[in-house]
Amino acid sequence: MKDLLVTVGQDGRTQALREFLAKLLEVGAADALLVPAEAAPGTITHVLARDVGLVMRAAEPLAPVMPVNAASVVSEVVRKGPRGRVAALLRPCEMRALVELVKLKQAAPENILAIGIDCLGTCDPVAYREASGRRDDLPVREACRVCLNPTPSEAALPGITLGFIGLDSTDGIVASLSDGLDQGLAAVIEKLGLTEGEAAQRKRKEAVQALMQERRASYDAFIKNAESAVSSSGIEAFARELAGCTGCHNCRVACPLCYCRECIFDTDTFEYETGQFLRRSGRKGGLKVPQDTVLYHLTRMNHMSLSCVGCGSCEAACPVHLPLFRLFAMASRRTQAVFGYPPGRSVDDELPFTTFREEELEPR
Amino acid sequence: MGACEHFEPRIVAFLCNWCTYTGADLAGVSRIQYPPNIRPIRVMCSGSVDPMYILKALLDGADGVLVGGCHPGDCHYVNGNYKARRRLAVLSAILDEFGIGRDRVWFRFISASEGALFAETVRDMVATLKELGPNPARTLWLA
Repeated sequence: MKDLLVTVGQDGRTQALREFLAKLLEVGAADALLVPAEAAPGTITHVLARDVGLVMRAAEPLAPVMPVNAASVVSEVVRKGPRGRVAALLRPCEMRALVELVKLKQAAPENILAIGIDCLGTCDPVAYREASGRRDDLPVREACRVCLNPTPSEAALPGITLGFIGLDSTDGIVASLSDGLDQGLAAVIEKLGLTEGEAAQRKRKEAVQALMQERRASYDAFIKNAESAVSSSGIEAFARELAGCTGCHNCRVACPLCYCRECIFDTDTFEYETGQFLRRSGRKGGLKVPQDTVLYHLTRMNHMSLSCVGCGSCEAACPVHLPLFRLFAMASRRTQAVFGYPPGRSVDDELPFTTFREEELEPR
Repeated sequence: MGACEHFEPRIVAFLCNWCTYTGADLAGVSRIQYPPNIRPIRVMCSGSVDPMYILKALLDGADGVLVGGCHPGDCHYVNGNYKARRRLAVLSAILDEFGIGRDRVWFRFISASEGALFAETVRDMVATLKELGPNPARTLWLA
């Protein structure tokens, strides 16, 4: 771990980060840079930039919106060869999702230069667009308010961590190079004219500690509230939470960790005959259609909640605003506790479903 | 609901071809008596039972689901039963969290020679489910 400092000039942090990222491209640290960019006032999308000028003009590394979880985009870009290195600017939840995708063999880590960046939360992309990118008064999404990972895990993937929590413009932005970073690459980055960043890093770490205390309290209150609303009231309460589901499966599309290339819910298995509908509704006295709402969401929880990084993309993608983040946060907290599995911490943690121990769990 | 004298729980049982299904067969040919509450489905391995199948059974009104696999070390496919155990542990956590309850889903290792254990397992499970009462999802039109 080596702490360097990106100094912030009069033009502010965004400009300083643009310059830093553009320099990475310029010196060939990566073949392309994946970064959020402003397409129209308030409309943020990711761009796979190769032109330094485009980075300087349009990159919005600090825009408080997550149009999609970038892990999905990175995975799409680096899933197949031939090789080329893509530098990707990633929020902590995007970084963690990408680590999970690497473990699921849906992203080739040798093709990625991961640039993690501190995140203080994002707001609803639609609200942001409607406000034309005036960011100050927009509410931060619930997933972000209770996020326990505002800083990227430094050991997750070889790369750079950009940190600014607790730092003001005069302090600059800390750029730490991870230990696993390719030596040649590290040497190139160190020659970019950055200064020593240890003092700023110390200041940042203190601020992060304080922030984590607040976040922990918010998270605990959030979970307590969520559980009192659903867990104690049985399956009916859970079904009512999801009753507005239109069956569009956008949550699955938006989820960076719903990793099946073809989802069983898109197959003939769920194309029932009329008689099957009538039998089911006869047994129950009636049947919510589109049906299998509860089955769909519970199945998704079984398949991916161990890897859920809590980015809230599912809820952001839901056209009827179901409380999906809340429900998936409840599920993943329980399932991850079964194996003490912290999703996205490191590519060296085994995915619980790909392995087993002879002596564990019940029955024995 | 509590205990209910006239309630006969329905149990969907996913039984591994190599061990538990054969164990159930042995219970039959040995004329061991056990309650007729189970609807067996033969699967090639407990490791092939996706939690979705179990959820589908529960949401369609099964009062309980039994998954039967080989004892540790005996899996015909080397480690399917260990993987099933992990999947079932995750499923149980989710069932607890959302009010179905893990007591409705049982995972047991029962070998081909354990006909008596199979019968005893079914008896125990029926008794437990009678205590739990009918699965509320059975008549829930939203699920």
